[in-house]
Amino acid sequence: MVKEVYFFTEMGYTAYPQDEARRRGFNNLMFPNEHFSPERAQQLYGMYFDELQYCTESGFDGVMINEHHNNPLSMMPSVNVIGAVLARTTRKGRIVFLGNVLPIHDNPLRVAEEVAMIDILSGGRVVCGFVRGLGQESIATNANPIYNRERFDEAHNVIIKAWTTPGPFRWEGRHYEYRVVNPWVRPLQKPHPPIWIPGVVSPESVRWAAEHRYPYVALAPPLHVTDEIYDLYDEVAAQTGFTPTCDQRGYVIRVSVADTDEKAYEEGRHFFWQLGTSFGVAPRHWLQPPGYVSRAATQSRREQARVGSANVTPGGPSLSYEEAHATYQIVSGNPGTVIKKLQRIIDVVDPGSMIFWGREGLMSHEVAVRGIDLMTREVIPAIKAYQPDREKGRQRRAVEAAAAR
Amino acid sequence: MTTAEAACAEDLVEVAGVRIQLRRGGSGAPLLILHSELGVPGWLRAYEQLARHFTVYVPSLPGFGQSARPDWIVSVRDLAAWVTWFVRDLKLSLPLPAIGFSLGGWVAAEIATMNAQVFTKMVLVGAAGLPPAEGHVWDYFIHSHQEALTQAFYDPATAPEYAQYFGRAWRPEDERQAEQNREMAARLLWKPYMRSHTLAALLRGVATPTLVIWGREDAIIPLDACQRYQHAIPGATAKVLERCGHLPEMEQPSAFVKMVLDFLAPGT
Repeated sequence: MVKEVYFFTEMGYTAYPQDEARRRGFNNLMFPNEHFSPERAQQLYGMYFDELQYCTESGFDGVMINEHHNNPLSMMPSVNVIGAVLARTTRKGRIVFLGNVLPIHDNPLRVAEEVAMIDILSGGRVVCGFVRGLGQESIATNANPIYNRERFDEAHNVIIKAWTTPGPFRWEGRHYEYRVVNPWVRPLQKPHPPIWIPGVVSPESVRWAAEHRYPYVALAPPLHVTDEIYDLYDEVAAQTGFTPTCDQRGYVIRVSVADTDEKAYEEGRHFFWQLGTSFGVAPRHWLQPPGYVSRAATQSRREQARVGSANVTPGGPSLSYEEAHATYQIVSGNPGTVIKKLQRIIDVVDPGSMIFWGREGLMSHEVAVRGIDLMTREVIPAIKAYQPDREKGRQRRAVEAAAAR
Repeated sequence: MTTAEAACAEDLVEVAGVRIQLRRGGSGAPLLILHSELGVPGWLRAYEQLARHFTVYVPSLPGFGQSARPDWIVSVRDLAAWVTWFVRDLKLSLPLPAIGFSLGGWVAAEIATMNAQVFTKMVLVGAAGLPPAEGHVWDYFIHSHQEALTQAFYDPATAPEYAQYFGRAWRPEDERQAEQNREMAARLLWKPYMRSHTLAALLRGVATPTLVIWGREDAIIPLDACQRYQHAIPGATAKVLERCGHLPEMEQPSAFVKMVLDFLAPGT
């Protein structure tokens, strides 16, 4: 049952020339940053921060923030800086970091210190997610992608130990080594802020999250892939010795709500503002630098490509806007329509928390605010009151999947 | 011996603790070939020509081709140590001559810095390891494998072995193999990229007679690095092939082999 609903925007830098990106065939990593205007960014940051503030005051349970590098997709090159600002400008609501990109850090204790500090500044409102980053980010930060997963794992271990074990102690690992681990500032929440693991499909990440009993947050995948994700999660949880509840399931979904279905459908196109995609266009060897993607994940991605995904987009859009609706990678409509569509997802996934990716691209501030109002007044109360029927939802998915084949 | 491919024996063998893919052909004294970061495409014309004078050994180095990838080999010096075990365990008569291509050239150079008893002579071809004084080594890791192959040739259109090995439609297993080679290359070469901070100093102590060969139009490692190698290794000579890129053995096989034989086996 949905207990909490958060709001998310990538904080896109919308002012870059799309024609230039189209001509080059990519819009990140090596897309020239001469196309960035700090003055324009200042206006955009102002608008985005105002909207996030408004969300926390009008009925969302908090906001989600993230981090990307070399990418007009997102003006959040440091999730901790965004989080620190929100910790002091907002008064309530959780700040959900999804998350710190662990493998790119040569000093993960800096992450431990910053998150601890923000947790205190916010009065214990931090949810601390950890991610591996996009493939391009391994290149942008020159962190060898061969060791991405090893570094993720070890950085996580040293951060958790720094938060839970009294210092000073030594750390001598494969990728990190410290003579003295003894960060002075430690988190307010005990033993530490909740850890969430977001992801798209990588089965290793799902397995890793379940082994650590961390909630797994699906990042707006095609609905039928979520069966695969959470079945695996449940299986590993059983081996680990616990039975997952909705508290272990989070779900990010693109939501476009307006006064009419037609208006919401048109505004929803803004979610595919990056050359027809949500995450931007890059060649495969940037998205998947050497060793970044495991063989198992390649299989899973192939399956995702078969159904069409709005997320993974080497070389261009892999699905149309219409297909994104059909596969529940976006829901749009008036509040009543959106509630019904979200209930379909809730029946399949039964998430404890949902994250509405609620504004994107060139959507105007007024439209975004109207959407936020409709979400907080009508959509959120309705889905929090909804009792999911997971059995029914899964049966219906199975019938639809069979029909699609 | 109707085709070049037929002239080599190819086995999976356990050597020096690693199960590796080993091609060998010809007869006579042994000659060791250390391949580039692109792996071994096959039994090349150049190998076949050299096999008329030597028993030519072409191992796929650990992590490349069908060779296993042990966890402990994470640097070029680790790889160099393994290569010295390889020639020992195969019981090749030592010292022996060696040719190293790009990554393999760096491996050979590292060995020569540590032990003058392994190689009689060495030929370094478009060798990695020393940064050019000007410009950069072309970055494999922000380009695709296909782009790398094109970049590695001066003129892919006229190189018969480009068409034979790379210019055809790729099968899924070719893609997988290329990706696996790329992963091993990233492990060894990601950072510092294709260079060592200590090699230039270490090369001053090399006593192995050395020939450095470079393609003038090498667009992966600029010709400038050729001079750096020549000046770093006492007594080294350098030869440059015209209209030739990063893979002289594939682009100019006959001219390349003649240069090598003039150095390794003068008078033949």
